[in-house]
Amino acid sequence: MKKSSIFGIIIIAIAIAVIISTYSSSSTYGTFNDARETESELHVVGHLNKEKELVYDATRDANYFSFYMKDNKGQECKVVFAGTKPQDFERSEQIVLTGQMRGNEFHASKILMKCPSKYTEDKLNVTEVSAKKSASL
Amino acid sequence: MDIAYQGEHLLPGKLGQFFVVLALGASLLSFISYYFAAKQDVEKNDNSWLRLGRIGFWLNTVSILGIAACLFHIIYNHYFEYHYAWSYTSLSLPVYYIVSAFWNGQEGGFLLWMFWQAVLGNILIWKTRSWERPVMTTVALSQLVLATMVLGINIGSVHVGSSPFLLLRDSGMEAPIFQNADYLSYIKDGKGMNPSLQNYWMVIHPPTLFLGFAAMVVPFAFAIAGLWQRRYKEWVQQAIPYALFACMILGTGIIMGAFWAYESLNFGGFWAWDPVENASVFPWLMLVAGLHVLIVFKNSGHAYFTATFLVLISFVLVWYSSFLARSGILGESSVHAFTDLGMFWHLVLGILIFLLIPVYLLISRWSELPISKKDEETYSREFWMFVGSVFLGLSCFQLIAFTSVPVWNAIFGTKLAPPTDQVKFYNIIQSCFAIIITLLTGVTQFLKYKKTDITRFLITSGVYFGFSALVTALAVFITGVNKMPTLYILLMLGSVYSVVANGKVLADALKGKFKLAGSAVAHIGFGLLLIGALIAAGTQKVISENHTGEQYSAEFAKEEDPRENILLYKNQPVQMGDYSVTFTGDTIEGLDHFFNIHYKRMGKDGKVTEDFILRPKVTSNNNGTGMSSEPDTKHYLLHDLYTHVTMTNVLTTEKKEDDGHTEETDDSKNYDPAVAHEVAIGDTITYREGFIVLKGLNKEAKVQSIPLNEGDIAVGAQLEVHTHGKTYQAEPVYLIKGRNVFDFAKKIEDAGLKLQFAKILPDKGKIEINVFQQPESKKKFIVLKAIKFPYINFLWAGTIIMVIGFLMSIFRRNKELKVR
Repeated sequence: MKKSSIFGIIIIAIAIAVIISTYSSSSTYGTFNDARETESELHVVGHLNKEKELVYDATRDANYFSFYMKDNKGQECKVVFAGTKPQDFERSEQIVLTGQMRGNEFHASKILMKCPSKYTEDKLNVTEVSAKKSASL
Repeated sequence: MDIAYQGEHLLPGKLGQFFVVLALGASLLSFISYYFAAKQDVEKNDNSWLRLGRIGFWLNTVSILGIAACLFHIIYNHYFEYHYAWSYTSLSLPVYYIVSAFWNGQEGGFLLWMFWQAVLGNILIWKTRSWERPVMTTVALSQLVLATMVLGINIGSVHVGSSPFLLLRDSGMEAPIFQNADYLSYIKDGKGMNPSLQNYWMVIHPPTLFLGFAAMVVPFAFAIAGLWQRRYKEWVQQAIPYALFACMILGTGIIMGAFWAYESLNFGGFWAWDPVENASVFPWLMLVAGLHVLIVFKNSGHAYFTATFLVLISFVLVWYSSFLARSGILGESSVHAFTDLGMFWHLVLGILIFLLIPVYLLISRWSELPISKKDEETYSREFWMFVGSVFLGLSCFQLIAFTSVPVWNAIFGTKLAPPTDQVKFYNIIQSCFAIIITLLTGVTQFLKYKKTDITRFLITSGVYFGFSALVTALAVFITGVNKMPTLYILLMLGSVYSVVANGKVLADALKGKFKLAGSAVAHIGFGLLLIGALIAAGTQKVISENHTGEQYSAEFAKEEDPRENILLYKNQPVQMGDYSVTFTGDTIEGLDHFFNIHYKRMGKDGKVTEDFILRPKVTSNNNGTGMSSEPDTKHYLLHDLYTHVTMTNVLTTEKKEDDGHTEETDDSKNYDPAVAHEVAIGDTITYREGFIVLKGLNKEAKVQSIPLNEGDIAVGAQLEVHTHGKTYQAEPVYLIKGRNVFDFAKKIEDAGLKLQFAKILPDKGKIEINVFQQPESKKKFIVLKAIKFPYINFLWAGTIIMVIGFLMSIFRRNKELKVR
């Protein structure tokens, strides 16, 4: 057998291992319900409930931030994050949390938020408002 | 309904759009002409197609310059009727960032890419001689595809490309103001640039990156030309200098991006394995691998297919990475993906064009390819170089497979999410590849092409390996890497070995074989880069540890202690690691809000050994919708101290509309209820954060704007406030004018105090002072995070050394070309 064929086989084996590791180490997007049922960390996608309180008071604890999020199934849960409130958090239209359930709270280790992009309707309203404002001046 | 809009500057846009169409037409002409020129029999000496191809390409170059000039004119003059100017600039944007506004949008990115490709194309026309026709065919095709990306014209019902000259009123917004003919008079200002992009790195990072991307087309074009024209072996040597150039520039661009992230973004590091970052590395890894195999083929005749394949795939990956970054497919998995411009399928088409051409050529020429039937020697440099390159390719394959998870989700309808600790995952897998690759960059230095004396090889490489192990052991204990998993120690060993072995080659080269030094220098740089990244990322330490803080719940308190953010009230020093840190004040410069953080380090004897101020800033864009925090870093030779403001009450995102109304009149709600003290001269008042001494009474106190008449009495209480090691003077005044009594309180903002001279108590010989203190929550504060990055300078120095190595190699390979 040629040496290069042996080498080729090794390479293919590694490539397959990579693909398997990709599949097996990826986690899933879930809901708060899924989070309750599992011990491990997972991603939850949802949006901020803007009607409920958002707690961040640096003078009490600079590393405590809590809010209420509704997941994509509409279920709501209190979320706690050990850090400061991300800038422009209130404006987020979608949030992706990484973390796990602790009792009745979801403890997030990472928050990724998407702010309204330039090309969506939200931004247009802003444009309108600011346009009117300069008109009245 | 036609409206005669007023005040618009339509000429530059119309002109620009004309140039866009011209660029497209010219590149099409150039492509077709070069194609037929390449098909011609060279012997015939007919240059008409060639001439036409050149004219097309030159016309294309001129059009691109025209587009750039028009766009720049629009941005520079703030013509907000154009979507591009409105989206990315504002009146208050400093002039030097106007340049970076140019490539802020995706269209600008494409333009930049086209511009560099045009520059490179002209160099190729000038330099390549017999290769010009086939090579320029591919370059012109690439120009053509890029031109369609910025076309912005409806063909039938399909909208092709996105033009930078799109008018705001045509951009698809359904806003009623566009019913007004003079809508422009309502649009006072643009949205402004994203504050995190307002940084000088954004002026030079994108052009470098795009030059790198553009340069990738050259080796690809040579490979295609070689297959197409059946000049299978000749193209390799031609392509090597260009491949070196592309690797050098793209590598620089990537590291510049990392440096930008480190210096001015707030994710606290230089690399986050974000999909967009990964995407820019794919082509680099593949071409670096390809480059090595090209050299293998040149020196030994082995591995022809692998070399061709890697070069071809690297350019396909340029398109794939554009697709990932620009199509919006990354969605929720990336922090900084571009927004979707509705060009998803257009970009897919781009990939397919450059994928299918090589596939067709490879299949149709397969039987003719000079694939060697012989087996390589086990103890030969070419074999192990080949192995190393394949591992580079594999590491790239892993990156692609994993970064593309959203793509797999879209294709197979699955719902995979990235791993919960993505950074750790990538670090582990990529470290495994890096260990093998770095070891091989070392070992191959002791091997010769074709055949090597085995005993001698084993002895020398073994000796150097032992020496490296010693150095590694020492370095690992000094830097604290020994506390990390064994995997990273092995990576350290591999990197040190690479530096040592190549150091030997460099030392030899200085004695004579200097022409080999380029690769050795580049390898040393790469090794140092990895060492720096490994130590800095692995042993970085958050020094703003926070053990305090009122706990919200017992459960929460147990996790993750200490926390990483620390609260600093203005002028109250806090001990943080070895430093005493004080937030001393803030200054505003334009849209930037700087915070002065005073660091002091005390020796054991209590003397100040170090004293400096860091100025992290928070930038808001002018409409008050976005804030971004930019760190400031103290650079030492062996480590960096990185500081960034994560939160502050000094400025808010809400618009300050009632500013100036409520001030002065009633600020009592900003203070806790007054505490009255009766004091005589020399007495001391203690309060929460210090003490106040009544030094004396000033019988001739004056109050501004109130003239004193005969019989009026004005007395000032000379107070000295001592708080947190600082002293302030204040003189509140007590005034009897006619029958009325007034008091003029004095505020000491920095100390959060208001002092009021309330009464004179003549019978006791005392006066009454009211002390108002600001409650904690009203006082100015910032929350900051500080991280120490050890040995990060290795990373930057390694990059510079690697670039020097690439440069040396380019000169060497270029010289080899001329000799032939």
